[in-house]
Amino acid sequence: MLQVTLWRLFDLDLHQVASDAYPAHSLPMLSVGTDSPPLSSDVPTPGMASPPDAALWLLDDPQEWSAFSRPNSRAADCWESNVVIEGMHCAACSLTIEDALTRIPGVVSAQVGAASHRAKIIWSANEVKPSVWMQAVRASGYRAVPANDAFASERRKLETRQALWRWLVAGLCMMQVMMYAYPAYVAHPGDLTAEMEQLLRWASWVLTLPVIFFSCGPFFRNALRDIVQLRVSMDLPVALGMVITFAMSTAGTFEPGGVFGHEVYFDSLTMFVFFLLTGRWLELRLRDRTAGALEALMNRLPDSVERLRTDGVYERVAVRRLLVGDAIRVQPGETIAADGVVLRGETLVDEALLTGESRPLPRAVGSQVLSGSHNLSSTVEIRVEQVGEATRFAQIVALMESASATKPQGAMLADRLAKPFLIGVLLAAAGACAWWWGRDPGHALIVAVAVLIVTCPCALSLATPAAMLAAAGAMARTGVMVRRLQALEVLASVDTLVFDKTGTLTRDAMVLGLVQVRPGCVPAEALAMAAALARHSLHPVSRTLAAAHRDAGASQVWNCEAVTEHAGQGVAGVATSIQSGGAEESRTFRLGSAIFCDVEQVATSGAVVHLSDEAGWLASFELKEDIREQAAEAVASLQQLGVAVSILSGDRSDSVARIAGLAGITQARGGCTPDDKLTYIRGLQAQGRQVAMVGDGLNDGPVLAGANVSFAFGQGAPLAHAKADFVILGEQLMSVVQAVALSRRTLRIVRQNLWWALLYNAACVPLAVAGLLPAWLAGLGMASSSLLVVLNALRLARPEKSKKEP
Amino acid sequence: MDILYLLIPLSVVLVFFILGGLWWAIHRGQFEDIEAEGERILKDS
Repeated sequence: MLQVTLWRLFDLDLHQVASDAYPAHSLPMLSVGTDSPPLSSDVPTPGMASPPDAALWLLDDPQEWSAFSRPNSRAADCWESNVVIEGMHCAACSLTIEDALTRIPGVVSAQVGAASHRAKIIWSANEVKPSVWMQAVRASGYRAVPANDAFASERRKLETRQALWRWLVAGLCMMQVMMYAYPAYVAHPGDLTAEMEQLLRWASWVLTLPVIFFSCGPFFRNALRDIVQLRVSMDLPVALGMVITFAMSTAGTFEPGGVFGHEVYFDSLTMFVFFLLTGRWLELRLRDRTAGALEALMNRLPDSVERLRTDGVYERVAVRRLLVGDAIRVQPGETIAADGVVLRGETLVDEALLTGESRPLPRAVGSQVLSGSHNLSSTVEIRVEQVGEATRFAQIVALMESASATKPQGAMLADRLAKPFLIGVLLAAAGACAWWWGRDPGHALIVAVAVLIVTCPCALSLATPAAMLAAAGAMARTGVMVRRLQALEVLASVDTLVFDKTGTLTRDAMVLGLVQVRPGCVPAEALAMAAALARHSLHPVSRTLAAAHRDAGASQVWNCEAVTEHAGQGVAGVATSIQSGGAEESRTFRLGSAIFCDVEQVATSGAVVHLSDEAGWLASFELKEDIREQAAEAVASLQQLGVAVSILSGDRSDSVARIAGLAGITQARGGCTPDDKLTYIRGLQAQGRQVAMVGDGLNDGPVLAGANVSFAFGQGAPLAHAKADFVILGEQLMSVVQAVALSRRTLRIVRQNLWWALLYNAACVPLAVAGLLPAWLAGLGMASSSLLVVLNALRLARPEKSKKEP
Repeated sequence: MDILYLLIPLSVVLVFFILGGLWWAIHRGQFEDIEAEGERILKDS
């Protein structure tokens, strides 16, 4: 019931809606329901009786628009909305929509992705309401649907169904028309009686009707829209071609003596319509898969969850109604809808899209789970700790959405070229028609049709964005988020990579280095004593010592009941041990800084922690930073790709040199201030180098911004604040290498695509003008050329075995 | 050969019948989620 009302929301004719007359009453929550389970009973149901033209106003409720919008940092009261645009076919469309949107006062900016069919609109809540700009999109002949809505996916399902149906109608009718055309091709003169031929034409005509009036519907609708708005787009030449062929063949059927001659082209017509629809259909499917990783991630959250009511019964509620503190139940195979802690049960989760970790991870009671991860093995109960925009998942989605709506430079160029190109095509077709008209009007028209159909600006405008999106999708699967698609182009040409901090090459945890002890004491014994105290503290140093003792496999000789922790200094406590004779020995230990332990400060290269007892100094433990597992491997692979690697760090020079040595980096500089780093990068850029920077993305913003392209490790840091072009979600350094390699492949594929599109058009248009290309072949060529571009781009989504770059 | 005058119009009608069948199949959702029906038998609930 609810859904039926919602359906109307976008079907109604908005021209009736006076933009300045908002109703005094505001309709309640637009709850996006799922099919079967009833929503929680406290959801007010918008009545069926509500007038249909009130529906868009629903979105003017801040609670509604916040479902697909988030506050923009640019100014107070500015919102950034993400919507899916329906009815778009090519790059020219995105320009039109952008134009229409930016013309509205209050809309700060609008960006429409030609390949992703998503738009990002920044608007000021003081001056404009969502219904106003949605109406503007509608008025320009398209339809905007809030993204991230179950509603949008429902809509998409219906669209696919309709597309499949159109395609099947065209296919079946084409086959039958082909049967009727066959006798005319093989018959010798005199074999076919005149009545029989006329009957076959009649039958062909009848079966062409559904193809023209139903299957070609979208082409005609789009073309008509273009004519009304005085612009050109992809569908205009195609629709023109269809109309001409159909009119000509109809005239040939019913008036064989007329000016168009008695030839009929029903077989060609149905065939190229079928080819075009096949192309569109496959393109639609492929685009879904190309943008698939992005789309899959964005639409990953379930619509509803099972929430535990106070009376102990589970009820289905919409995800948006979840509150912090709720307990929810997640079945195996379901996606976890909110960040939280496991309350009951034990399971495996898949966090691949969130952290790049491809292995299933065990989650027991008390451990954290992330929203957007898949519950794999068994049912768990989760206490919700963060919902909606606050979750890490929402931050990632926000990143991806803003990236997929930005346009790479190449695509912008293609957009601008599309219009003059199409006008050129129309002129060429008219010219060819005029040229052949004198000899044979029928032939002249069929030549013009071939010209109209064969050109494919689609391939041109899809070349760049399709490849970029596929690359972004492939990167997302390895745990790298692309924030700006343009950055992919830059990354491909990078020849110098600078690690901004030793922290990017090292792990957060430390390892135990050299141990110095008082004469007469064994290092292992000293470690056992230290570990006894350290076990009670959560300080990183303590954890390192406890872990080192555990890893050494030593038995727990010393036992400590309680310690007093002095913040920033150390821990102190009494430890006891059972001696071999059964006697008990108790000693008071202090573990911590030199002052805390009352020992002399000694100059060492790393962090040092001391242990003392009643008699004074007992041992010193040196702690070193631990290098990431794949650091050396990653550096070597980067060098193999022809990228020079160096480190710039604010740490002390000797520890930087140690890390550099372990990772195999020759160029290392320690003790740098942020200004030093920036100067160093500027120096490299002055030498004509393209510099990529890897940092933690938090306090090195200016340095990252100074580099041509930047990476940030998103671990721990709030993703929205990471100021980098690429955000690495996991811990793997190899992601950087993969990103560089992938970006190079992407650029190669973009070039291939552009070349193909140019060559195809350059070769086929003259052939068609010369009358050497039959209409059906033109349709096949056009459909396959844009398919080829998308297919080529799709190669990026396939993981490639670590192939060496030339 | 006179039978062709009947068979050809009949074939046109037949095409429309087949199209009707396809329409029914598509709009009943027969081609969506092809795996789900097979897997349904394995599910508990």
